[in-house]
Amino acid sequence: MKLNFKTLGLCLAAGTLLAACSEPPEIAAKAAKRPDVAPYMGADNGFMTKGWTPGNQASWAEAINKRNQKQSEYSRAK
Amino acid sequence: MARMKFICDTERCIECNGCVTACKNDNEVPWGINRRRVVTVNDGIVGQEKSVSVACMHCSDAPCMAVCPVDCFYRTDEGVVLHDKDICIGCGYCSFACPFGAPQFLSQGAFGSRSKMDKCTFCSGGPEVNGSVAEFEKYGRNRLAEGKLPLCAEMCSTKALIGGDDEVISSIYAKRVSVREANGRYPSTDIFGWSTAYGPSGSPAPKPTPADKIPGAKS
Repeated sequence: MKLNFKTLGLCLAAGTLLAACSEPPEIAAKAAKRPDVAPYMGADNGFMTKGWTPGNQASWAEAINKRNQKQSEYSRAK
Repeated sequence: MARMKFICDTERCIECNGCVTACKNDNEVPWGINRRRVVTVNDGIVGQEKSVSVACMHCSDAPCMAVCPVDCFYRTDEGVVLHDKDICIGCGYCSFACPFGAPQFLSQGAFGSRSKMDKCTFCSGGPEVNGSVAEFEKYGRNRLAEGKLPLCAEMCSTKALIGGDDEVISSIYAKRVSVREANGRYPSTDIFGWSTAYGPSGSPAPKPTPADKIPGAKS
């Protein structure tokens, strides 16, 4: 009976001491910043405007510039 | 490279709140959060009532970026200040630092707990795949990647709110001011928030977040 208590005590102590060993690692890198894709690469949906080529920065900038000019009624009224 | 900015012409804004509605609808912004709002001063005083549409100004030296304890903000090549909601812990420091009240939080939890921060993205999403469902659910539309400008500016009925490349929109505004001056009206018109967000004229262009500062980014 004494032996059983001793074994039980050892098991409890081992369980307590080794409890942390089963914890999964919490790595901070999981929440690391991710690189963003540039807008001139285009969007993966069906709402893309026409008149420019996704991946071509110059054509995107030109399309945006054209749209920019539409905000000026002085240029629109010409 | 374009530097994306907003201008709100206080002489033109009629407080219709169309920009607010367009932003909320297009980005499906939840109740309790307004990425854009219209502020009116001297309400009801004839000749002195002015309205201005305010959202994130995507500052050149953004205070929110400076105070964020988890460094979730980054600036794109287009000068747009964005943040990663997977990193944000909702501490609210950015909302105290921002001079425009741009960062927004849902506060529906117990003990005043806040959601992750939400703000105007200049309709350019976040660090998810451009135009993806995941990006839309977290950040809203990515109109820049679709070849468009922010909806709030594009649909403004009086063109009080204009957004886009700083050189283009400032030239549009300068033309208006010169016409007004020629007509003897509004001889001195300052742009709301311009110097606060972008510094005095001639300030150096903001630098995008370097790739080596973003773990996993290609240099």
